[in-house]
This record gives sequence, structure tokens and C-alpha cells, in this order.
Amino acid sequence: MNIWNLIIQQPLINIMIVMSHYLGGNFGVAIIFLTVIINLILYPLTMSQIKSSRKMQDLQPKLAELQKKFAKDKQKLAQEQMKLYKESGVKPAGCALTMIIQMPVWIALYQAIMLALAAAPEGLLNLARYLYPWHVVYSALPLSRDFITMDLAQPNMILALLVGASMWLQQKMSTPPSSDPRQAQQATMMLWMMPMLFAFMALSFPSGLSLYWVTSSVFRIVLQYRTTGWGGLRKQAPPAADEGKKRLKFDAGQDKKSAGETSADVIVTDSGPSKKTMNPYKPAKFRFLPGKNKDQGNPKK
Amino acid sequence: MKLNKTKIGLIAILVAIILAIGLFGSGCVSGMAPIGWSGGTVANDILYVGSNEGRLVALNLADDSRQWSDKLKVAAQTGLFGCSASSFGCGTGTSNVVIYGTPVVSGDLVYIAGYNGKIYAYKTENLNTQRWVYPRDSYLEPFVGGLVIAQGKLFIGCSDGKVYSFDAVTGDKIAEFKTGDKIWGTPTVDGDTLYIGSFDKKLYALSTDTLKLKWEYAAEGSIISTPLVNEGIVYFGSFDRNLYAVGAADGSLKWKFMAKSWFWAQPQIVDGTVYAGCLDGFVYALKAGTGEKIADFNLGSAVSSQPVIVNNYIVFASSKGIIYKIDTGTRQITQLADLKMNVDGPLAAYQGIIYIHPQGLILQRVNIDTGAVLPDISLQS
Repeated sequence: MNIWNLIIQQPLINIMIVMSHYLGGNFGVAIIFLTVIINLILYPLTMSQIKSSRKMQDLQPKLAELQKKFAKDKQKLAQEQMKLYKESGVKPAGCALTMIIQMPVWIALYQAIMLALAAAPEGLLNLARYLYPWHVVYSALPLSRDFITMDLAQPNMILALLVGASMWLQQKMSTPPSSDPRQAQQATMMLWMMPMLFAFMALSFPSGLSLYWVTSSVFRIVLQYRTTGWGGLRKQAPPAADEGKKRLKFDAGQDKKSAGETSADVIVTDSGPSKKTMNPYKPAKFRFLPGKNKDQGNPKK
Repeated sequence: MKLNKTKIGLIAILVAIILAIGLFGSGCVSGMAPIGWSGGTVANDILYVGSNEGRLVALNLADDSRQWSDKLKVAAQTGLFGCSASSFGCGTGTSNVVIYGTPVVSGDLVYIAGYNGKIYAYKTENLNTQRWVYPRDSYLEPFVGGLVIAQGKLFIGCSDGKVYSFDAVTGDKIAEFKTGDKIWGTPTVDGDTLYIGSFDKKLYALSTDTLKLKWEYAAEGSIISTPLVNEGIVYFGSFDRNLYAVGAADGSLKWKFMAKSWFWAQPQIVDGTVYAGCLDGFVYALKAGTGEKIADFNLGSAVSSQPVIVNNYIVFASSKGIIYKIDTGTRQITQLADLKMNVDGPLAAYQGIIYIHPQGLILQRVNIDTGAVLPDISLQS
């Protein structure tokens, strides 16, 4: 048995079998339970990913301005972007890195589910190699594959659709609306591609795996909601925290190139914006007009 | 921003591709796809075996000529990629009916049951002539265990949890008995009683006439191993790591012996000694009367294949393909050959040659006296 199997797969499989035993012999409930536990363990990483992605969203207007400003100087653009990231404490590779770190865990969980399901006779034989010498483990096997009306070892159309829907919902919530048509197109492509890919795979894999995917997505939806609200689902709505505040339309006057590029909402509050807030609508520190320097574009100065 | 969006998009695509490769590349996860391990049975110098192509193969041992049946009919596949648990050939790239049970010959018919949930009876003289098939137009749940012919009837356990009996000549169903869970084991018939284990952790003793329950014995783990009946005692292994000996008449416990893993293969008995292969990699030699351990033999890897008795030897195969013979007189173990292939199916013996059907489309042969590995025989049609 290799290191991967010894320290990752074997414990996961045995824990899953024990959980299944103590959850009334219901392997479906055990999958949900373990997925939630694993997600809770990965909670700091996931939150870091969500927060990082939120910061990236907040920086979008400033990045768009930089792109316009340094459209012809890619090197300068890159430098300015990196500077902005550094100042804002954003690590662009952070999101992807977090995902990559989580991948082995997802793969291990997937493999553990498939091994513990032992759909084929060879699988059951193979499973014997992974078992700890605990009586409860031996007496619990083979696990029941029935969950509600599904056979967890068979693909299930409803769960496959749920995989796609939950993944779409989670991605939609975490995807910011974009004013750039090309960016919007890219975002739309990603928004549909991943859920469709996973739904398609779910049609061919045992529904135990789909159950794990759906549970993971629902967990992330809840986290996303608690962190950013409905996010991308409320396309043009202002952030919930800003509701009730007065809004003035600001016209950039002679420097205006197009309405979409230079007009901005300015939020007027009594207390003033927090220094730590990275709100895209916050004018005090970040907003400036194209063609002018930063201080000229700041309506507070 | 566009650059970063593109980067993030590319990374996400990369992650998706890696994930997809991971899922598919893990071979639909090892052991997820059925492959089959049909053993061979010899009758009239002809060895019958179910091939991984989903065919019944008749091998003439005199001249190595072969005859193949038509491919067994595949039930509808449920997975788009053929990777679902019930589909066939995931990992092998084919869509064949998987065969686990060993064929059985009775009279002029040879019988085989497939993972597609059908039982077939062929004429031994011509495998292209099908005598009957059950069910004719539909499919039962997969058959993993083998079948038994006795008293003009065919007995078999099915993954639907039922034990069936059929008229061996016509294929007409006579009776059925429902257990509490799947049956993957092969029944044993002794006199007018049929013994079979179920995933519901019980060993059942049924009347061969009507499949009416005589008694049942509840173990602490599921039962796959084929029971062995000898001198009024039924020996069988269980997933609770015990080898049980119970009275054939009433199911009363005589003794039980605990090992470190499951007992999967049928035990054998020679001169009052029970030899039982275990998935912990050992073969245990126990006193048939008391269950007291006489000796154990380390085979190095799991023992799931049914052993075969040849003269004064009992021959075992480990799952890694190492073939051993144990002298039942001196209890000396000798390694015969290392096939370097997975061996899970039952062994067959004929005229001093051990026939092994490893994973793949070949039949391996080992001389029991010299340990020489003879040229393998292709089962490919």
C-alpha cells in the first residue's frame, strides 16, 4: 500500500464505513456527513478563496481604469496591476492555489466513496485491503447502496441535474457582473461550462459521487451566501450594506468618453467609508477619471 | 483585468481537465468495474470456461482446439462512458458480458450464468446451439456466484437476493426463495438440502424440492464463500473474519475460527483437516472436528481463489498470481510458479495440470509436479 492509500484513503474509507454503520447503515447519509466534515476542515481555505475572489471583484473598476490608461503599454499595465494587488493585499494566484490545494482532498474523497461502494465484486475484494481490524468495520460490510430511491452505485438523472444546478448556482453567486462584453462572455462561458461538464460526468458515474458533488456545492453556496450574499445572482443590485444610502449621479463632463466608462455612483454617507473597505463604488481613495491624475478624479478633494 | 480573467479562466479549465483526467484516469477507480473471474470445469477432455469477452469457451485439452459460443447478450448500459457499476468492460474498453461463475456440465448440456442476469444452457457438442436461456426476454440482477446441477435441477443464487431452482433440461423455473440481501455465493447441494450464504449475514439450508427453509444460521458478517459439507458439518467463511462449522442437520454451531480478514473462497477438507484461504494472505489448516489451528501458510497476498485438490496436494493461488501446493501429508508448502498476474477465480485441475484463468483473455497452465509454466492458451475468439 502506497503512502497516499495509507495516510489518506485508508482512514477515509474506514471512517466512512464506521459512520455508515452508526448512521443506520445508510451510506448516502454517511457521504453527506463526511462531505460536510471535510468541507468544515477545509473551511479556512474555502473562506480564503471566497474572500480573495471578493477582493478581486472589488478591484474590478480600478483594474478596468488601469487597462484603459495603459492600453498601449502592456508592461506598465502589468506593473500597475501588480502594484494595485500588492496595495490591496490581493494574491491573484490565491484562488487557483486554494483550488489546487483542495483537489487532492476531493480526489481522495471521491476514491474513498467509490472504493467503499464496492460496486463490482472486484471492488469488494479490493476493499478488504483497506480495512482496519475493527469489528464494526467488518460487520458493516458490504455497505447498502440504497439511498432514498436511488442505487448509489448507479448513475441517477435527478442527481446529475442537481449537480449541474447547484454548481451553476454556486458559480453564479461568486461571479460578478461585468460591464465589459468580452469579460461577460468569458464569465458566461465558465458559468455554464463547469456545471455542464460535471453534470455530464455525473450521468456516467455512480450517484454516490453525485451526492458528494451536490453536498459540496450546497456547502459552498451557504458559505458564499453568508460571506457575499446572493452575489452575482443580484446582477445590478447594489450591495446590501449600502441600501438606504443616498446616491448621486456623477457626470465626468468633458472627459467623458462614453456613459458606461466614466459615469459613477457616488455614495454619500454621514460616517464616511471605512478605510479597510474595498467597495468598488467607494470614491474617496480609488476612483479617478481617465485622462486625469488620481487626485483630480477624487471628488472629495 | 482581462488578463487576470483569462488566467483564472484558463486555470479553471485546467483544473476541470485535471479533475476529469483524475476521475477517468483512475480506471473508474480500481475495482469499480466488473471484469470477471470464471473458473474452468473439465468434462470429457474438454475444459469449459467463461472468457472476459463474454463467451463460453470449450477448450479441447487433447489438441488445444477451441470453440466459442456467441457473445452473451449485454443488458442496456446506464452510463454514458460505460463506467457505471452495472455496465461492462469499463477499463477494458469493451462492452462484454462479465462472467464470474464457473460453467457446469451435466449430460449433454453446459450451463453458465452471466453478470447480465441471464442463465444459458448450451449443447456441449456445439456451443452455437443454445438449449435455453432464462429469462428469455428480460434480465435478472447480476449473477456473481456459480450454479449447481443436482437431481435434474439447476440451483443458483442471484444479486436480487433470491435462490432459484430450474428444470435443468427445459429451463422452466421451479421455485425461488428470497433472502434478506444480495447473493454472490455459489450454493452447495448435499442430499436433499441446499446450502447458500447471503449478504444478509445468514447461511440458509433449503429443501432442494421446493426451496423451503429448513434452518438458517446468523453469522456476524456477510457470506460469500461457497459452503463445504462434510460428514454432517457445513463449513463456511464470513466477512466477520470467522470460519464457521455448523451442523448440517440443524445449523447448530460446532466451532468458529477467527482470522485477520474475510474468508472469501470455499474451504477444502482433506483427511480431517480443513484448509481455508483467507484475504489476510494466509491459508489456515484446522482440525475439522474442533477448529483448532494445526498450521498456517503465508501466501503473501489475499487468497480469494478456490483451491483444488490433486492427489495428496492442495493447490492455492494468491491474488498476485503465485501458485503454491501444500502437501496434505507433511504440510509442507512449495511455491510452484509466479504468474505475475491477478488471480481471483477458482483453479481447475486435469491430469496433473493446473488451469488458471487470470484477468485477461488467456488461460495459464502449470504442471503440478515440476511447477513448469506451460504456454498459455488464448481465449480470444
